Amino acid sequence: MSEVIIGIDLGTTQSAVAVVDSGFPLLLADKEGRSLVPSAVWYSEGGEIKVGHEALRLAGIEEVHTSVKSLIGRRASESGGGLTPDGRINTAAGLKFPEEVSAEILALLKRIAEHRLETEVTKAVLTVPAYFHDGQRAATKEAGRLAGLEIVRILSEPTAAALSYGLDRLDESSRVAVFDLGGGTFDISVLEMREGVFEVSATCGDTDLGGDDFDEAIAGFAAEKFGLDLDGFDSMERVQWLSEGRRVKLVLSDAEEATFRIPFTGEVLVSRDAFLGLMKPFLARMESCCRRAMLDAEVTARDLAAVVMVGGSSRIPMVKERVAMVFEQEPDLSQHPDEAIARGAAIQAGILAGTVREVLLLDVTPLSLGIETMGGLMNVLISRNTTIPCKAGEMFTNAVEGQESMKVRVLQGERELAKDNWELGSFEVQFKPDRRGQARVGVEFRIDADGILSVLARDVASNVDTVVKIGSAAVDVQETKVEQMVSESVEFAFEDMNARVFEESRLKAEELLPAVSIALEQAGNFLTQKEIFEIQEAKERVEKAIEDRKVAELKVSVEQLDDVTESLAAMLVEEATKAIFSDPQD
Amino acid sequence: MDPFALINVPRKLALKDADLDLLLLKASQLHHPDNGGDQDSFSKIRLAGEILKSPAKRVRAAIECEGISFDERGEIPAKVMEYFSHIASVLQDVDSFVSERSKALSSLGKAVLDIRVPRLKGDLEDVTSKLNELKSAMIANFKIFDERGWSNCEVEMCEIARGLIFLTKWSAQLKEANGKLFEALLVG
Repeated sequence: MSEVIIGIDLGTTQSAVAVVDSGFPLLLADKEGRSLVPSAVWYSEGGEIKVGHEALRLAGIEEVHTSVKSLIGRRASESGGGLTPDGRINTAAGLKFPEEVSAEILALLKRIAEHRLETEVTKAVLTVPAYFHDGQRAATKEAGRLAGLEIVRILSEPTAAALSYGLDRLDESSRVAVFDLGGGTFDISVLEMREGVFEVSATCGDTDLGGDDFDEAIAGFAAEKFGLDLDGFDSMERVQWLSEGRRVKLVLSDAEEATFRIPFTGEVLVSRDAFLGLMKPFLARMESCCRRAMLDAEVTARDLAAVVMVGGSSRIPMVKERVAMVFEQEPDLSQHPDEAIARGAAIQAGILAGTVREVLLLDVTPLSLGIETMGGLMNVLISRNTTIPCKAGEMFTNAVEGQESMKVRVLQGERELAKDNWELGSFEVQFKPDRRGQARVGVEFRIDADGILSVLARDVASNVDTVVKIGSAAVDVQETKVEQMVSESVEFAFEDMNARVFEESRLKAEELLPAVSIALEQAGNFLTQKEIFEIQEAKERVEKAIEDRKVAELKVSVEQLDDVTESLAAMLVEEATKAIFSDPQD
Repeated sequence: MDPFALINVPRKLALKDADLDLLLLKASQLHHPDNGGDQDSFSKIRLAGEILKSPAKRVRAAIECEGISFDERGEIPAKVMEYFSHIASVLQDVDSFVSERSKALSSLGKAVLDIRVPRLKGDLEDVTSKLNELKSAMIANFKIFDERGWSNCEVEMCEIARGLIFLTKWSAQLKEANGKLFEALLVG
């Protein structure tokens, strides 16, 4: 009998474990028959630990750690206050690294699998968002190790869902997109399936976009109606408001309106339209990613045989509508949104264990890998969407005679400036003493099938290879401080607050006044007389406030002008959007 | 490295994309670590595939297969150079639109800039289709090179390779400009 390898979907809000049985992926349920485990962990001061349903039951009463996935592999400065400067989470049982907390969830899933399969389990395939960078992947793998699991593959979530979708369509040859919107992350991948090979052509995503954001937007909307600020709440209140936001979100998937209710505070009616308004910026970010993925994969919507939707948040009607609009087809909802990824992980586990044959997955690296060059630019060595495993080499040489070493900063991301990308870490290339330009060391960057980087240095003269250790870039705490200092000094430069407010409003007015004339000329005939009158009136108030140099009035009137021109602006943007997304063949 | 040999592709410049895709797929299957291959040879196969899929890199690889060292700084087809200023101005227009839009303070300020979008998109489409024409015309020579034998048309091949390298670079920039344009509209 071949060894058992389980497939695990470690989600932001819930997790699941699956295994391939007789060629078919099956979810494994706990003793109570539940196959989805909340990604929640509770610690007592005494060191007692509760995980999953048991932990979630305590939410709102005691501190329960949820959405830890959004912290894993992150630095304190990116965590929005969720991590201490050394990258740990404050728990009742002391400071814990996010990988330690995630390991508790993985350990529970391991126990569930062992109970169901009645055998010890030591190996697993673990899924991560496709858009996770090297650090997030490595930290997730570490969480598995802490849970007593050897992680034999880190698999991208949309790719896992594609395996689940494609397993019974192996004789087909087609291109599909997988849209995966979970609790905290969003991914879109375009794949080509043929001859049993699942080849990812392009992937794009946002590791800070998911259902949690929608809960927060609804809670924030309600708080504003009460004249409150979500950021001013303590952590217990916050949990209460966010979970009410979540409940309202779920109701709005079926109903036209829902009541947001907080005991002793009050009620707010949230209509689906209001929710749509809150969702607009998120929908725009998703659309942008989808179009980017199609552009990178060199496909149009018409080339895609299906758009498979997975992830809990893909249940939201306006998300489905937007997907249908962008991809010009009804999305494929055949996959269970919460289970498909675990099933796909089990299929990949089956491929590695040898129980699933005739299937092969070719995934890509989601982010470009490069090094910082002189002048602070990013030099791309491996571009995004390169099939993994892959490698690239770069030759380094001494710039002055006798130079002993050279520091190389490794980056991931798509921005031109090195500082705008995510710094993976840095390493030193060691040179033998030699004349300028004579010491030569070749460095090879390898990305393995898990999407994780390793670096090898080869001395050209001796042909000796050494594995290079990449130091983590944990110094960013100080960098944040520097940035803060810079912005503060800029702020203090305006000693007179009034002058500053006037200046800001005047700049905005200078932009708005000519824009109003141009916009009215372009789209004025689509407005009612009343709307035009309102705009003209607001415009005159702004002009008068500038003339009289009245600060408060200028600020108010500029804001007013901004408000009354909102629909006019929307109209122009819509025209532009139509133009850019129209097919030249039409 | 001989990319033709690595993927078992006939040593020809005029290759059909579909045939090449299938051969690369077979080689990838054979060498993938999950199928018992090793990471190193898989990486080489993919690299070879990347070279052969790009007409510019393919012709360059053919030149190198003939044992000729390729000089990037030689003669470039005149038509290609003529074309450069045209593309550069379109790319610059897109860049300044994106930058102005990101700096605009109000939604109407952004919206008024968006009036330029249809023209920018039209310009991008025009230069892209002209560039593709130029590219196809150059690729049409591949068959002739195959028939005459690579060693008999080194000079022409080098010139075509240099031209295609530029066109490929520009076409990537045009594609990127397209992406920047819709990203500015959606999330800018």
